[in-house]
Amino acid sequence: MNIHHKNDTDLDLEMQQVEAAKLNSAQFDVLYEKYYRSIFVFIYRRTGNEDLSADITSQVFLKALLNIKKYEFKGVPFSAWLFRVAFNEINMYFRKNNAHRVVSLEQKNISQIVMEVQEEDNTLGQQRMMTALKKLDGDDIQLIELRFFEKRSFAEIGVIIGITENNAKVKVYRILDKLKKVLKTKF
Amino acid sequence: MTDLNFNIDKPDLPDDQINKHKDFKKLIYKYQLATKPLYKTPLHKFKHIRVFLIILLALLVMFIIIEVMEKEEEGAVKPAVPEQTIKE
Repeated sequence: MNIHHKNDTDLDLEMQQVEAAKLNSAQFDVLYEKYYRSIFVFIYRRTGNEDLSADITSQVFLKALLNIKKYEFKGVPFSAWLFRVAFNEINMYFRKNNAHRVVSLEQKNISQIVMEVQEEDNTLGQQRMMTALKKLDGDDIQLIELRFFEKRSFAEIGVIIGITENNAKVKVYRILDKLKKVLKTKF
Repeated sequence: MTDLNFNIDKPDLPDDQINKHKDFKKLIYKYQLATKPLYKTPLHKFKHIRVFLIILLALLVMFIIIEVMEKEEEGAVKPAVPEQTIKE
């Protein structure tokens, strides 16, 4: 179980908090406190700018509060729905402003993805992987980010991107194949 | 290939720095502003001055139309004064 997975008790408690917030907007503060940091970090890792992240985070929570009545439990935590709102807001920002997107990752993430495509995990393999990652398009890199850098489940990725769990799985494996092909070619 | 900047091993912001942006009261204020019915929002509080000006202009045009219509109605209702013939 990773940081994004919750047990049934947590999900039940969260559903109660969501239902309370649906009835009274002031009750939304529990969810706001609970998820402010993770949403901020999610946005900061994609923008690399503190003030911009604060603006987008505030917009995300406003949209979430305005639309919370539409939220229905579909087997994934409320946070996945919140991340979906954040994901859409970030994409909207980059579309409107034509700004450079940031991809934040750790060295160990590169090692993991190197092993995933059955490459040798050494400095050369990691360098080649970085070059291959840079050749991916924006949509592909977002999936790699969610799956390998943030360790999210396929179900959660599906909710965030707005596709089915199976579709998320297929897309991720297609991107891995793409990476394998890129790695086989000479840079 | 898209324009992507890769940040490797860049630490996340410390909690204190993130928390200074947290403001639930402001969120509720924005929420109330967004959900308040239009007719209950004072005109001067309209976010976009252009919207405010358009509403002001529409009200002005409506006022002028009503004034003109009232005047026309008054003119139509008023009976014509009969000419008096003076007997000598």
